[in-house]
Amino acid sequence: MTGEIQLCSVFKCLSSYPVQSSNEGHAKYLFQLTETIAIDRLGARGIPYCLWDVEVEALQDETSPNFTEEVVSLFFKDSTRLMLNIEQAMEKYPRDFKRWDAHVQQLKGSCSSIGASRMKNECTSFRTSCGAGNVESCTKSLQKVKTEHAALRQKLESYFQVILDSQRRLLYQSLPLLISLRVLTQHGCTQLMRQAGPCGMATRPRGM
Amino acid sequence: MATSSASRRIIRVLLVEDEAIHQVIARQRLKAVGGVELDVVVNGAEAVRRVRERGAYYYDLILTDRQMPVMDGHEATRQIPALGVTTPIVGLSSDCLAADVDAFINAGADDFVPKPLNKEKLDRVLTKFGIV
Repeated sequence: MTGEIQLCSVFKCLSSYPVQSSNEGHAKYLFQLTETIAIDRLGARGIPYCLWDVEVEALQDETSPNFTEEVVSLFFKDSTRLMLNIEQAMEKYPRDFKRWDAHVQQLKGSCSSIGASRMKNECTSFRTSCGAGNVESCTKSLQKVKTEHAALRQKLESYFQVILDSQRRLLYQSLPLLISLRVLTQHGCTQLMRQAGPCGMATRPRGM
Repeated sequence: MATSSASRRIIRVLLVEDEAIHQVIARQRLKAVGGVELDVVVNGAEAVRRVRERGAYYYDLILTDRQMPVMDGHEATRQIPALGVTTPIVGLSSDCLAADVDAFINAGADDFVPKPLNKEKLDRVLTKFGIV
């Protein structure tokens, strides 16, 4: 996991250290505080927090700490492939609107799964154009889908970078407290810092 | 011989879905329910084969996508009950116009859930068929 760290995995590591019962709530509190800070920072950059389906994000747990990253990676992998399929299908003759529609329908389904509503709406328009057999309209729709795809990729990239950076910063800020409260030893602190990496090194999920 | 699902604590679900992203999300949602064993197949033909192998009473719920290669969800929905299976079959699709829902129901599905599969929809299905 070089350079890529999820707070869940960091605090999972924390949980493996001896914790006094009075300190058990600290890790959860820190996690919540991290998210609050991240949301504020996203807002300051004009990026709405609810870019996508927060229910998907809520499925992430300590047994699946990389779930969100996995879903996002799968989405961009699938959507890139599907858009390429659509482009290739649109270059073939005779024009097969049913095939175009089938590909767009798959893409729409992927968008639905992560709550990418703007891209999903463009897919809906695209399908209407396919149903009408309107080539020009389909071509315009494809461009709009691509535009929304690129915008979503950029925003999610920023989202993950801000989240991860916030998590790292808060981790570093909280280490002295965690040591003083005996949640961590000095050795454990060093290990965590090595695992988390330096601040400002947040990287995108694979596939983005 | 497969035992009746009513006597089992484990919920056995068959997911018929070819897209990895939907498989991953459905798996995680069902994991959140707890006590679920999930089998995943990637097309309707595999679903029919799996049901035939496991027995008529093995699964408590079958969730099937519509658009898949080899055999689509509608055809699988038609074929599975013909094997003597009374397991509820629920269609899943991002198409949720009345015509799309009707197509699944007319094929023999017991219910339809528009994608994405979320907690609320899953709870409704599980409750409706007395699975939890």
